[in-house]
Amino acid sequence: MWFIRINMSDRTYRVEPAPETYKNFGGRGMTSSVVADEVPPLSHPLGPNNKLVFSPGIVTGTAAPTSARVSVGGKSPLTGGIKEANAGTSWARDLAVMQVKALVVEGQPKDQSKSWGVKVTWDAAAGKPKVEFFDATQFEDQDLYQVFPQVYKQFGDQISIAGYGNAGQRNYANSGVVFNDESKRPSRYAGRGGLGAVMGSKRLKFILIDDKGAPGVPVADKALFEQGRKKMTDALMKHDITKPKGALNSYGTAVLINIMNEAGGLPTRNFTAGRFEGAAKIAGEAIFEGNKQRLGKELYNHACSPGCIIQCSNTWHAADGKEIASCVEYESDWALGANCGIDNLDDIAEMVRLCNAYGLDTIEAGATIAVAMQAGVIPFGDSKGAINLLHEMGKGTPMGRILGSGTATAGKVLGVTHVPTVKGQAMPAYEPRAVKGIGITYATTTMGADHTAGYTIAPEILGVSGKQDPLSPEGKAALSRAFQATTAFVDSSGHCLFIAFAILDIASGFEGMVEEANGVLGTHWSNDDVVALGASILKKERAFNEAAGIGKAADRVPEFMKTEPLPPHNQVFDVPDSALDSVFGEL
Amino acid sequence: MSDIVVDTWLYGELARYGGQAGQVGYGNVQIHLKAGATLADLLANLSMPTEVRGITFINGQLSAMPGLQPDLVHVLHDLDRVAFFDPHSMWPFQYRHGVAMVGEMADAMVASKDQGLHHTYNK
Repeated sequence: MWFIRINMSDRTYRVEPAPETYKNFGGRGMTSSVVADEVPPLSHPLGPNNKLVFSPGIVTGTAAPTSARVSVGGKSPLTGGIKEANAGTSWARDLAVMQVKALVVEGQPKDQSKSWGVKVTWDAAAGKPKVEFFDATQFEDQDLYQVFPQVYKQFGDQISIAGYGNAGQRNYANSGVVFNDESKRPSRYAGRGGLGAVMGSKRLKFILIDDKGAPGVPVADKALFEQGRKKMTDALMKHDITKPKGALNSYGTAVLINIMNEAGGLPTRNFTAGRFEGAAKIAGEAIFEGNKQRLGKELYNHACSPGCIIQCSNTWHAADGKEIASCVEYESDWALGANCGIDNLDDIAEMVRLCNAYGLDTIEAGATIAVAMQAGVIPFGDSKGAINLLHEMGKGTPMGRILGSGTATAGKVLGVTHVPTVKGQAMPAYEPRAVKGIGITYATTTMGADHTAGYTIAPEILGVSGKQDPLSPEGKAALSRAFQATTAFVDSSGHCLFIAFAILDIASGFEGMVEEANGVLGTHWSNDDVVALGASILKKERAFNEAAGIGKAADRVPEFMKTEPLPPHNQVFDVPDSALDSVFGEL
Repeated sequence: MSDIVVDTWLYGELARYGGQAGQVGYGNVQIHLKAGATLADLLANLSMPTEVRGITFINGQLSAMPGLQPDLVHVLHDLDRVAFFDPHSMWPFQYRHGVAMVGEMADAMVASKDQGLHHTYNK
C-alpha cells in the first residue's frame, strides 16, 4: 500500500510505502491523522505549509456496496480549523485500486501564474503508481462543464478527474474540490470548508487517474469480507429509505423540504422563519412529479459513483426535456431556494449548475446570498438576481469576491448581524431552534456547522440507549457525542454516510460494516473498537483545532438563535452552554 | 355543534386524495369536519386508508411515522394544519431529534424500542 506525495514547490513526487502507523487508516481517519501530524496548526490555510490530503476509505475499491467515497482533508480557509469533506466518485475507486492509501499534496509554486495537472497511472514494471505532470494553465478561468469534456478528450474517457473551479483558482473560502460523476459531469464535490482554494493555492488544477492495470485492493480475509458485504447489501436492499425505489431513490434527499417545512424547521429567508410558503413547489415530490410531466415518464434517481445501491442523485429537467442540473440535493435546494425566498425550481437548478460550474459549495453559496439579500444587495425572492450574484462569484468581480469569501466574511463586509454560522461555516438546512439535537452537533463538531457530522447509528452499541432521557439537554449532548464518534468511523470506512439509515434499524448491517473492514485489513475490531476508533479521530481533530485557537468558546450557535424566537413554533435555542461543553468535555 | 375547517396537505402520491390542478407533487385542501372530529375522521373524509400514509404532522408537531400511528384519536380543532406524507418520504432521526411532537407521539416514542432512536418503525 502506498503514499503518494506531490510537492508543488518543485513539481516532484515520491511514492512511498504507507507508514506502518497508518496502515489501518482510511478516509477521514487518514486525512485527519496526516493533517494533525504534518500541518502546523497555525499555518496559513493557503500557504505552503498546509497540505491537501486525499484518501479513499478502508473498503473503497472493493465489492462493498455504496463505498466509492474519497475524503479530502487539510486546514480550512473557511473555519481556520481541520477539515474533512468527502465525495462519492469513480475517482475514489480508481485511487483505491492502485493501492494508494493517501495522496498528499504539499508545498506551493512561487510562480502562481501557471497551473499544473498530474496524471496518476499504474507502472506495471515497477509495481507501483507513477505520476506525470502537465501544464494545465489553459484550463483555468473556465466553466467546468466546458473544461471536463476538454480533459476527457485530451486524456481519454477512461480517466477520472479531481480538480477545482474558478472559486478555487481565486482562493475563495467558499470553494470545493470537484470530482466527476458517472456521466462525466463536474458534479461531485467535497464541497465544504474551502478545500478547493487549498488545491488552487498549490496551483494543482487536476489530479487525473487512469487505473488501467492496477492490481486492486488486497483483501486479507476474503470469507469474512464477503460475509460482511452480504450483510450490508441485504440491509441496504431491504430498508425503506435505501432500497431500490425507496425514499432516496424516488424523491432524493430533497424529500426533506416538505418534511422540514411542516416541522417548522426549514430555515427561510436567512433563518428568519421556519416555514416557507413556496416549499411544496421546490420539494423532492415536486421534482419527481415535475420530471414525470416534462419527460412523460417516471424518472428514478441515479448513482453518483460505481457500486451504489441507494442511487439518490436526481436531475431536474427543463420544460423542453433538457437537463438543467444534477443533482438538486436537499441542502442545495434549500440554500438556494427557501433560504433565499426563491420557489422557482428551474432557477434553483440553474444555480446548482452554476455552483458546479464555478466550483462553489452550494450550502455556503446559498447562505451567503441570503445574507446579501438581508443586507439589501438584492431582495429576497429575486432568483434572477441570485443567478447574477453567482456569475459575479465565478467571474471574480469585487462583489463576487466578497461573496466567495463565505457567509461569515460577507456578513461582516455587508454589515449584517444575522449570520448563521458556526466556526465560520454556514449552517445547513435544519433549524437548530426547531431541531435542537442537530443544533448541538452544529455547535460542537470540529468541522464548523455540518449536518453530516452526527448521524444516528446503533444506540444499543454506543451504550447510550436508555441511560438518559434523549430529549433532555444532557441526553441530547450524550447522543451527539456518540453519533459524532460513529460518524467519524463511517467516514473512514469508505461507505457513503447514507448507509447509516439502514444499519441503525437493521443490526446485521452494522455487523456487516465492521466485518467488511476487518476482512480488508485483517483486523479483529469489535463494535466497541469501531466506536473508540471514531472517538480517537475526533480527539485528533479537536486537538488540532485547539492548537489553531479554536476551543470550546467556538462551540456555540449564533447569538440571534438564543434571543429571536423562530416562527411558527416560536422557540429559541435554549440548550445550556454546559451541555454543549459536555460533548467534547466527556469524550 | 359547529363545523371546523382543517387545512390539509397531501404530499407525493397522497395528492390523489385531494390534489388540485396546478399543484405538482402535493395537494392542499380545506376539509370541513364536525367539532370534536379526530384524525381518523379526517382520514375517513378523505377516503384515505391510514395504511397509505407515513410521516404525519398536526400543526407542525410530529404525530405519526411509518409503523407508528398513535394519532388516530387525536382531536382536531378549527384551523388546524395537518400534513400527510406518502411512504416514500423519510425523516432520519438526527434531523428530528428534539422536534415538537403531539403528546400521543411523544409517549409512543418513549415506549418504542431504544426510546425511538430509529429512522423507521415498520415491523
